[in-house]
Amino acid sequence: MEILFLIGCSLILIGAVLAVLVKPIQLALRIYVGVLSAGLLFNLAFALVNLVHLPATPLLFPGFPVLSSFFRLDGLALFFLLIITSAAIPAILSTLSYLNHYLHKAAAVRAFLVSFSLVLLSTQLLVLANHAIVFLIFWELMTLMAYLGLLLEKEKPEIQKGSFIYFATTHFATFCLYIFFFLLHSQSGSWLFSDFQLTQSSGMVFYVAFFFGFVGFAIKAGFMPFHFWLPHAHSIAPTVLSAFLSAVIIKTGIYGIFRMLEFCSPLPLWIGAGILAISLFSAIFGVWYALAQHDIKKLLAYHSIENIGIIGIGIGLGCLGITYSIQPLIWLGLGGALFHTFNHAIFKSLLFLGSGVIYSNLHTRNIELMGGIVKSAPWFVGLFLIGSVAISGLPPLNGFMSEFLIYRGFFESASIFGGYFPFFMLLMTVGLAFVGGLALACFTKINSIMFLGNERSPHLKFTVTGLDYLSLGLLAFVCLLFGIYPQIILGPISSVVAIFQSGESAQTFSTFAQWNFITGIFAAIILLISTLIIWKVSRTNQRKSAAWGCGYAGQTSRMQYTASSYADDINGIAVSVLHLKSKVKIPETIFPETSRFHSHAGDFSEDGLVKPAYSWIIGKITSVDFLSRTDIRFYILFMLLTVLFYGGTAILWTYL
Amino acid sequence: MENVLSILFCLTLLYLVVTSRIKTYVTILRIQGVLLSLIMIFPFIEHLSVHLLIIPIVSLIVKAIIIPRFVNKIVIDLDVKRIVEPSIQPFNFLLLSVFSMSVLFVSAHVLSGFTTIEPIPFASAFSAMIIGIFIIIFRKKLIIHVVGFLILENGILLFGTSLSAEMPTIVELGALLDIFVVVFLMGIVINRISSTFAQPDVTALGRLKD
Repeated sequence: MEILFLIGCSLILIGAVLAVLVKPIQLALRIYVGVLSAGLLFNLAFALVNLVHLPATPLLFPGFPVLSSFFRLDGLALFFLLIITSAAIPAILSTLSYLNHYLHKAAAVRAFLVSFSLVLLSTQLLVLANHAIVFLIFWELMTLMAYLGLLLEKEKPEIQKGSFIYFATTHFATFCLYIFFFLLHSQSGSWLFSDFQLTQSSGMVFYVAFFFGFVGFAIKAGFMPFHFWLPHAHSIAPTVLSAFLSAVIIKTGIYGIFRMLEFCSPLPLWIGAGILAISLFSAIFGVWYALAQHDIKKLLAYHSIENIGIIGIGIGLGCLGITYSIQPLIWLGLGGALFHTFNHAIFKSLLFLGSGVIYSNLHTRNIELMGGIVKSAPWFVGLFLIGSVAISGLPPLNGFMSEFLIYRGFFESASIFGGYFPFFMLLMTVGLAFVGGLALACFTKINSIMFLGNERSPHLKFTVTGLDYLSLGLLAFVCLLFGIYPQIILGPISSVVAIFQSGESAQTFSTFAQWNFITGIFAAIILLISTLIIWKVSRTNQRKSAAWGCGYAGQTSRMQYTASSYADDINGIAVSVLHLKSKVKIPETIFPETSRFHSHAGDFSEDGLVKPAYSWIIGKITSVDFLSRTDIRFYILFMLLTVLFYGGTAILWTYL
Repeated sequence: MENVLSILFCLTLLYLVVTSRIKTYVTILRIQGVLLSLIMIFPFIEHLSVHLLIIPIVSLIVKAIIIPRFVNKIVIDLDVKRIVEPSIQPFNFLLLSVFSMSVLFVSAHVLSGFTTIEPIPFASAFSAMIIGIFIIIFRKKLIIHVVGFLILENGILLFGTSLSAEMPTIVELGALLDIFVVVFLMGIVINRISSTFAQPDVTALGRLKD
């Protein structure tokens, strides 16, 4: 079966080479899209075949001793490979129409294509890696190539700024991971993931290693205090890349956290509790910030943070289950987290690719300047709406299904544990429900403002190409399929979760609900709603008048209800925490004058933590800047002093 | 006998610290080259094998003949001032050097208690390294920097012989070749710089910065 994977990877590389070699850029782009989607299909098939029948020996290339120790095919790796490939195929399909607007900059487009294909390849190899050094190599490759991909329009200052923030932050994350893996290596004496062990008996090393590993992976995943790079990078990235960033690259952080849980055994209680707390925090504040955004991609980026929080809640529940070795809780928590990871990859790709279509038609990312799209592209709006419903966690789509598993986990643990647990779990349940409510508010906001009403800025024609419809349609189909019939994915998830379940009583998904019953109900709901819609549409004549008009006839499109006013009530609750600022200038004379409203959503982590720390460090560095202006003799003196310092420390360390 | 030669080597280092004429520097380089090859010939006298003879002979040729001649040639070609321009009082420099050498000798004596080093060659080797670095730090003239690097290299070579375990021949030859290339390149650099700046010293190198 490895031959599938080999063909897939080599097709991806060939696509990158062809993107450079083929002279006409239009043709190069077409060939690239064709070759890469074929390659990704091969890898998808490879992941599916192996997931359905997990290989007995989890080795890739068992014939080659060196390679087989570098890569491993266990359930977790294969599941993430499935996520990567199934999110990458639609992104690649959308590349064609998105990059059509940049064809006048052929060199930049070619560079983007090469770096994008290397991002795809390194992400896939990263999750299969079994050797810490190989993992770090692909991790770095993924990070750097994504950075190069961000620079498609590198002449714009906002892109330079945002990509630098991404670069610096992920570099710091990699630094943390180096420390993590070196500590693991010193504990176990091996570089292989399958040999790593981290036990609390090792004392301080356990805490230090866990801290650095968690910080490194959490920066990548975007948990709340570490998320500040994410809105910057996502809003400036070319949309196909930001779809992939949000759907897959931040999930490598989740993958890393899963691996960490595998290394740490036994798992102390504070890990699960800590992950639960930080995740609930990320989920609530992520969605709250999202509500305050005007920039559609920034808004979606904050929704990524929210969903990472939901995934984290599942992981935290699973950790509690591992600590007390309660099998159903492990299954519900970790299984829910894995399922939500997959679902988020799907519907977030759908939303990001949809926002890319909007951007390439209207050339703006500001929600307040859109409107009336439903008249020119009703099917496109329908697909976007499916993604919105899925991400808000409403039945009968896949977002509901994974959150349902996590809710079940709350109830399960509340009934298993006594004491204060029911109270905590009640808090978590309310928190998660609150998150769902805010997400719903946020997506009603963008759907109503962007799609309904009149056009705020006139645009000639709204075109959606066939390939766009194909990629968005595929994603929407998967959303619908896993919402109604999740049984097909829950089987593989069970085999993945079995890694973390010890003992004989491994639970399967069929224990927790009568899934066929749920499928029946959901199918009935969909049937009912669609017949209602058809009946309603065919029966009544559509009345056309100004949207949000309230009876006033002489309305212009600027008088429409805005996204800011929609979100104002909810955001007003937590203005001080969220760093929201607004300036209002209302004329107080009788005659009309110019009036202004300006609002800006800051970020508590960026404004309150990162920027002060950064300027403090910069200040300290500039205060010793004079050292770098001297000549070579001073450099040699510094070297001597450094050597003396290290030598002295080593001598003191050894003989005292 | 090795100890006596090492002590002599240390004395040349101290002389190097207080002198201010470039000619003396070159002479001392020659003397050090001879001393080093004498020190390294002792294993040959004990074992009488040919390949132990290679290093002393090569280092004698390179260190006592070729490099001093090359440095002299640069000095004459470029017509640099024949005195060094210290950036520290010679007496203070001497005090600093004597202090660090005494620290090194004492610590070598302490270390010899529980490792298999010979204290006097070990300490002299380290003193040569330190004083080579000091010369680079405290002297302005670029040609003196070359001498500083050479003395540093002498220290490394002596360090190899001071350990009772033998250094592989290939490593020593490599170090020798390395330093030869450095000196050669520095000569070229000095030549180039002198065509732009009147007096080649390291403060001029700062202007090459971007």
